Amino acid sequence: MLWYKAWLETRARFLVSVCAISIISAFFVHHAERVISPEPKRETYFLLFFVHHYLVGLWILSAVLLGMGGLIRERAIGTSSFTLTLPVSRARVAGVQIAVGIFQAILLAVLPWSVILFTTDLIGRAFPVSQVAFYVLLLISGGLVYFALAVLISSLIEGEYTAPAVAYGLVVLSGITFSSVDSLRPYADLWRFMGGDNHFNHATYLLSGPFPRFGALAALSVAALMLLASVAVIQRREF
Amino acid sequence: MFLKLNSNAGQPIYLQLMEQIRHAAETGALKDGEQLPSVRNLAEELVVSPNTVVKAYSELEHEGLIELRHGSGAFATLRRRTRFLTDHVQAARRRIRDLIERLREDGLLDEEIRRAFEAELLHAAETAAKR
Amino acid sequence: MIGGPVIQTRSLTKSYGRLNAVRDLDLFVGANRITAFLGRNGAGKSTTIKLLLGMIYPTGGEATVLGARVAESKESREMRRRVAYVAENKPLYPYMTPAQMIRFVSSFYPDWRSDAAERLMKEYELPADRKVKSLSKGMRTKLALLLAFARRPDLLILDEPSEGLDPVGIEQLLQTLVAQSAEGISVFFSSHQITEVERIADHVCILDKGRLLVDASLDDLRQSYRRIDLVFRSAPVEHEFRMTGVERIETSGHQMRVLASRNAEMVVERAHALNAVSVETSPVGLRDIFLETVRDN
Repeated sequence: MLWYKAWLETRARFLVSVCAISIISAFFVHHAERVISPEPKRETYFLLFFVHHYLVGLWILSAVLLGMGGLIRERAIGTSSFTLTLPVSRARVAGVQIAVGIFQAILLAVLPWSVILFTTDLIGRAFPVSQVAFYVLLLISGGLVYFALAVLISSLIEGEYTAPAVAYGLVVLSGITFSSVDSLRPYADLWRFMGGDNHFNHATYLLSGPFPRFGALAALSVAALMLLASVAVIQRREF
Repeated sequence: MFLKLNSNAGQPIYLQLMEQIRHAAETGALKDGEQLPSVRNLAEELVVSPNTVVKAYSELEHEGLIELRHGSGAFATLRRRTRFLTDHVQAARRRIRDLIERLREDGLLDEEIRRAFEAELLHAAETAAKR
Repeated sequence: MIGGPVIQTRSLTKSYGRLNAVRDLDLFVGANRITAFLGRNGAGKSTTIKLLLGMIYPTGGEATVLGARVAESKESREMRRRVAYVAENKPLYPYMTPAQMIRFVSSFYPDWRSDAAERLMKEYELPADRKVKSLSKGMRTKLALLLAFARRPDLLILDEPSEGLDPVGIEQLLQTLVAQSAEGISVFFSSHQITEVERIADHVCILDKGRLLVDASLDDLRQSYRRIDLVFRSAPVEHEFRMTGVERIETSGHQMRVLASRNAEMVVERAHALNAVSVETSPVGLRDIFLETVRDN
């Protein structure tokens, strides 16, 4: 029943985020379509590339929100003495919360893109599913780093507002760092990675080339390490 | 049986309980062969620890006042013992009546007499418990 | 029914820097009893309970609950399956309804009793489908207690259970604790309600400044503690009465009041030997025993 609890805890946040992002994205696509001349698909593809960047931004904001909570927050609201005295290990409690968060983060990428796909289909400018997959996978594999960062921050920092403030602060900091330190581009720049900038083909306005498996793996490893660290922190903490 | 217990008194509750059950037996409120409440029911009704009831019942069984039948519960086994006690209690009351009259003649007030009895009883109970 | 103590600690210590929340605690809580844990605010009661349940870790010493070492996470986890605990703040998930809380809790404990849960839901008049955050404090307290009482654990640990309950609720609580004890469940609870403790506790532990000062059966305390009021013909000499067991002596003119935790008869004997005009012994209630114990510390 830990899954059920983790779902109930984050349900509101998740549903609000998913609806907001989906609606904004679909609206954007549908509306902006009018601005573009009834021309080749190319322009639509560029529009989608553009929308994706906004999606990345919104996704990161939501993913950080999803990463908040956990046992430290429970301590602030007073329920940690209940959860911790259940006959389950802390690792299990934290693990389930993380798993639910990852699942929600994935849905948060898949659902809006599905809505976009549906919208483009609706307006007669169908977008190849393989492209959608490319975008979604880039978003998720890079983005989980931010989710993991949020989880780690919320295991270290108490305070219902301090933890998200620090997390968002670090997100902004990372953005600044990526854009100002040249040597980090193009491969260590997470935002470029998630946005698909490295694969954007200026001729077709599509993402081309092989999926950057190595990059994705590297990002996912960093995310995994941060998540493991957060579990270790929770195990050692005093409540 | 209506019982009243004082958790504030210097006397353990199980002793109070025993006295009151004995008193009920003497006055006929508890009849021979009658079943006493189960440990759990009495504990819940009086809001005392079940261990207190268990102790009281087992001491009373020791004295022969009740019988604990395995599986069925506690039953009063008064008969001879009751008559024995009732006679003794009646004789004691006569002696106490005389003593009180004499103490009053000596000029003691009822309140002073009562306090003296309580102090001596407490003292006696302690010495008995020590043994 | 189990053998051996339900809780046992050996030199258990918890320090926060220079502050000793719990100091060299040697606790022995017997099975099949109702044990009350008394102490002032900040005496270390909640800290002790948290140490026993693995929420915080000891700085020294060791502890076992139901025979399981609290320092071993796996043993501790298995032990928690047989322990029901209600924290002082009666925690519940605000986003769940009572029905959901019941489903949640029952999934973790094989000793869950649905018939008892149903009965208590009716008795406490709890609405099954209203979110906890919209329940009154009294209802939340009762729900938190229900989640512990609808089980058959080996040990029930309660931290200030009567807090948040009106007198009727407190009476129901005491009856329930007594009923649980009658079923063989060992009860360990901390409380400030000394009158309630006096009614149902078999054993009393008094903690002050992290140290265990009193660890005795309530009956023993009742039989040993005495207040002796003496009157003499002339001003009495206090040091005549400083013998073992005497906790406090107060003198006022020809009167003397002695508080003894044991050996009251020796005091009476000495008083008679010194030709006291009046010797009156009276019992000492648990509240006074408690106040006296922490006063001297």
